[in-house]
Amino acid sequence: MARLLLRRLVTSVVVLLGLAVVTFLMTQVLPGDPARAAAGRNATAEQVAAVAARLGLDRPLWDQFLAYMGRLLQGDLGTSVFTQRPVLEDVAAMLPSSVELVLAAMVINIAVAVPLGTYAAWRNGRAADAAARLITLLGAAMPVFWLGLMLQLLFAAQLRVLPLTGQLSFGKQVPAITGMTSVDALLGGDLAAFGDAVAHLVLPAITLAASFVAVVARTVRSSMLTALSSDYIQLARATGASELRVVVLHGLRNALVPASTILGMQLGWMLGSTVLVESVFGRTGIGAYAVTAVLQNDLYAVIGTVLVIGVVFVLANIAVDLVQLWLNPRLRHTGGRARRTARTEVPA
Amino acid sequence: MSATTTGIATGVAARIRHRVPFVEGAALAVAVVVVAMAAVGPLVAPHDPYAVNLTDALLPPSAEHWFGTDANGRDVLSRVLHGARVTLPATLVVIAASTVIGVLIGTVAALGGKVVDEVLMRITDIGLSLPAIILALGLSAALGPGLSSAVIALSVTWWPGYARLARTLVREVKDAEYVDAARVLGVPQGRLIFRHILPNALNTLYVQTTVDVGAVMLVISGLSFIGVGAQVPSAEWGAMIAGEANNLTNAWWAVAFPGLALLLTALAFNLVGDWLRVRNDPTIRREAR
Repeated sequence: MARLLLRRLVTSVVVLLGLAVVTFLMTQVLPGDPARAAAGRNATAEQVAAVAARLGLDRPLWDQFLAYMGRLLQGDLGTSVFTQRPVLEDVAAMLPSSVELVLAAMVINIAVAVPLGTYAAWRNGRAADAAARLITLLGAAMPVFWLGLMLQLLFAAQLRVLPLTGQLSFGKQVPAITGMTSVDALLGGDLAAFGDAVAHLVLPAITLAASFVAVVARTVRSSMLTALSSDYIQLARATGASELRVVVLHGLRNALVPASTILGMQLGWMLGSTVLVESVFGRTGIGAYAVTAVLQNDLYAVIGTVLVIGVVFVLANIAVDLVQLWLNPRLRHTGGRARRTARTEVPA
Repeated sequence: MSATTTGIATGVAARIRHRVPFVEGAALAVAVVVVAMAAVGPLVAPHDPYAVNLTDALLPPSAEHWFGTDANGRDVLSRVLHGARVTLPATLVVIAASTVIGVLIGTVAALGGKVVDEVLMRITDIGLSLPAIILALGLSAALGPGLSSAVIALSVTWWPGYARLARTLVREVKDAEYVDAARVLGVPQGRLIFRHILPNALNTLYVQTTVDVGAVMLVISGLSFIGVGAQVPSAEWGAMIAGEANNLTNAWWAVAFPGLALLLTALAFNLVGDWLRVRNDPTIRREAR
């Protein structure tokens, strides 16, 4: 088990190093001469050279990369040209709001995908299964940003049951504690504001969840099919356990192991997808920050966002492994990834 | 005798049904229509997709403008038709480029030594462990916004999946008896790889690329929607949606139709890709999908 964790950590470090290399290369493909840009329009050749020396731009690429790594390790992601603040501070201020959105989307994702996949497997091959397949197909083909706009059109503009944009209605305020609007409202004891924040969260969270539901439902369905045809399910049925008990307690419990891997990976992917959702709904967050940075040509802010999302992604993967170890005791002994258990039944 | 005839008849019907199931047939039809749109769209488009006509701005769908007009009075139908021409080739370039990179890296990893394999596969892991849209966002922002930046950025972020698949496939084939036979007969290394190993190894990979067309298309238009891909006046579907999102509440058609085109196209390619995958792989064919 310790070996598995160690191997995981080494891989993560390699991935993070790769991420640093990639983002460093991004700073290198910047069009134009950064030294000239920093020295100003009317600088002489000597002044430009002096600035280049001060910024270390005259040193070999390898040296520059080491300097870049050094800055990263100190948490220096550069300064945003647009906000004039350190990128790390900006991103740290934006992250909670995105995390709030991602968690809300994850709740919706699980609440829809797990029952859908389970039901589809239980009704294998019947109409409900076909309907589930249709939903997963639509989810996989859905342009996320467009879905957000269409939901706004239907539920906010036409039916007027949910707010169009933003995080909180005009005039409402919550204390700034965690940076997650709904949580802050609860902590501040303001139930009306909490309801308001949740109402603002519904459409963006559905939008963000939509394309992820498909994959989870499919995974749950297929592992549920395997589980339901296994010996222990037959045994459970034979003991006279109710169908609900058989499906949920015996089947789903085992079928959820592969799904949990996917769900963990999706946390990172969802954080990436906030770039497509937050700006549609006028929410603040790391995704909206990245989009603004792109439009403002604020390269360090863009790269900072890429780095932070990459780091979160790697951390999420480690968390997934830990959860796997907890869910699947066999792993603790094999010291590797889940091995397929040998099929005991003789094929007909 | 009659039992045999009906047996044969149902057999034939089942075969035809098995060849092209109804849903997949419809998907194939949609995919063909989109490709045709990309080829002849401008010829059948009723209006010029870029002709600005402010007096006709934001007209609802009518006999003259089936999909209405946008804020600049441009015909939405013509722009949607034209969009296939922008999005589809961009998608195909990304798929083609990342297939080439992926196959190259995967093949070298599979045929090269242990060290080469290890290094290349760790690089592949890095690519696989980050969301493509985020890397592509950073890269195309660095390259300067534009459709070609998005295409380049996505090409260099999309290949790791193919590299891993190509490596597995080549490793499976390289020790096959017919490869050994060719080697013994003195077929030179290059010919061995390109004529004997790759053509047999990569069928599965080509099918995977079909499955990915929809996904790549969605990322490209997503990047355009954000503003790092195709730029606003362009009739790219994502950029069209971005350009008209401000008028969503009073002119839904300018946003709805490009998105619908995107959804249907991605759905069609996903279905066709899935179908090809199942046909190509006898082991998954048996399971109910």
